Amino acid sequence: MESATKIEPDKQRVQDMFAIAEQRDQVALARLFDHYAPKIRSFCLAAQPGANLMADDIAQEVMIRIWNKAHTYKPEAASLNTWVFTIARNARIDYLRKNSRYQSDIDPEYLWQNIIDENSDPFQDAQQKRDQQMIQQSLKKLPVDQRQVLSKVYLEGKTHKEAAEELSLPLGTIKSRVRLALQKLTIYVKR
Amino acid sequence: MTHYHPSIETLTDYAAGALPLSHSLCVSTHLEHCPECQQQVKKLEMLGAQLFEQNRMPPQELRHLKDQFFARLEQQDTSADTSLTTKTVERIEDNGYQIPKSLRQFITKGYDDLTWMHLSPSFKIATLHNEEGGAQIALTRVKAGAHMPTHTHTGDEITLVLEGAFSDETGIYRQGDFISRDARHKHKPIVTKDAECICLTVLDAPIEFTGWFTRLLNPILRRYHPHTSL
Repeated sequence: MESATKIEPDKQRVQDMFAIAEQRDQVALARLFDHYAPKIRSFCLAAQPGANLMADDIAQEVMIRIWNKAHTYKPEAASLNTWVFTIARNARIDYLRKNSRYQSDIDPEYLWQNIIDENSDPFQDAQQKRDQQMIQQSLKKLPVDQRQVLSKVYLEGKTHKEAAEELSLPLGTIKSRVRLALQKLTIYVKR
Repeated sequence: MTHYHPSIETLTDYAAGALPLSHSLCVSTHLEHCPECQQQVKKLEMLGAQLFEQNRMPPQELRHLKDQFFARLEQQDTSADTSLTTKTVERIEDNGYQIPKSLRQFITKGYDDLTWMHLSPSFKIATLHNEEGGAQIALTRVKAGAHMPTHTHTGDEITLVLEGAFSDETGIYRQGDFISRDARHKHKPIVTKDAECICLTVLDAPIEFTGWFTRLLNPILRRYHPHTSL
């Protein structure tokens, strides 16, 4: 009986988001912190190994943004994980552009703000869910070498070129691994 | 309807946040015109979220960080302005032109208010920004029917058509089209006769004019692109 009343963790987190948006519920925020802060730190440490202060700083920054932007989260437009990932990605870019050798005055806020949630209709929402499941399932079956390259790009923040140099492989090999992987995940279809 | 898109590698690097910001600027501007690539980026972000979620990590002791975080939150929420509103940028119109959202950081009024440098009676250029790493972000504006002097690139170049259309040996490019050229490429674009053409260009190093007369422009362009050592 207990399992029937137990709510799935993913759904619980979406409810926590509503509680934050509507009631400014700090207990719900604490639960999200416990789940996401370690992931955000790992995501940062993947790009800058050993940079614990940076990881702590970005983890806090992302959680603050979640608190401040909670009312803009729409579950039908993106899963919570995707939403948090994009915030973490942008916060990491923002930190690196201000604090590293890749200094830049281009504000990332202008570059990723308009993509999500503009055209939401029931048909597209359903399609979105299917895409999500498809990606989730096929990712599990991906060969190690393909997954490794995806991790380099997404988690370590390396470009294809940099990934090639680091793995001592020709750029063409990296490209074809990524393309193969994206084909299996049905993200990439040859035009 | 755009016909020339960023490669899947470029879109992946963009969605992952691995692409240099100067290139991301072009991708973002392209996305404003291209629902197809928007969809693709959405899926690429879903993939990123999966990898983010499944990333294996050593156990972490974060009680201290959590206390710190809630103290910081307290401070924010008691300070005068909690500003729940996020930065939203509306498109602005300028003589019938719409300035893309992605460029609003650099273009606050309209194209005409930028500082244009005339390189010929029909061709001018306005630098929006020079990156510390050397990339130059600029707009080029060419009159209807005019051609740009033949040039090669000393580095990679991305061109994004903002208004009008132009063509070269390999095709015709219209609004939203994303064209990436490497250093070996030598080309001579011509603007279509119906309207002027405004393009966003990102250069990793300055262009070099190869024509007999226009070669005189090279030192001038280099001066406006101070980060390269040639």
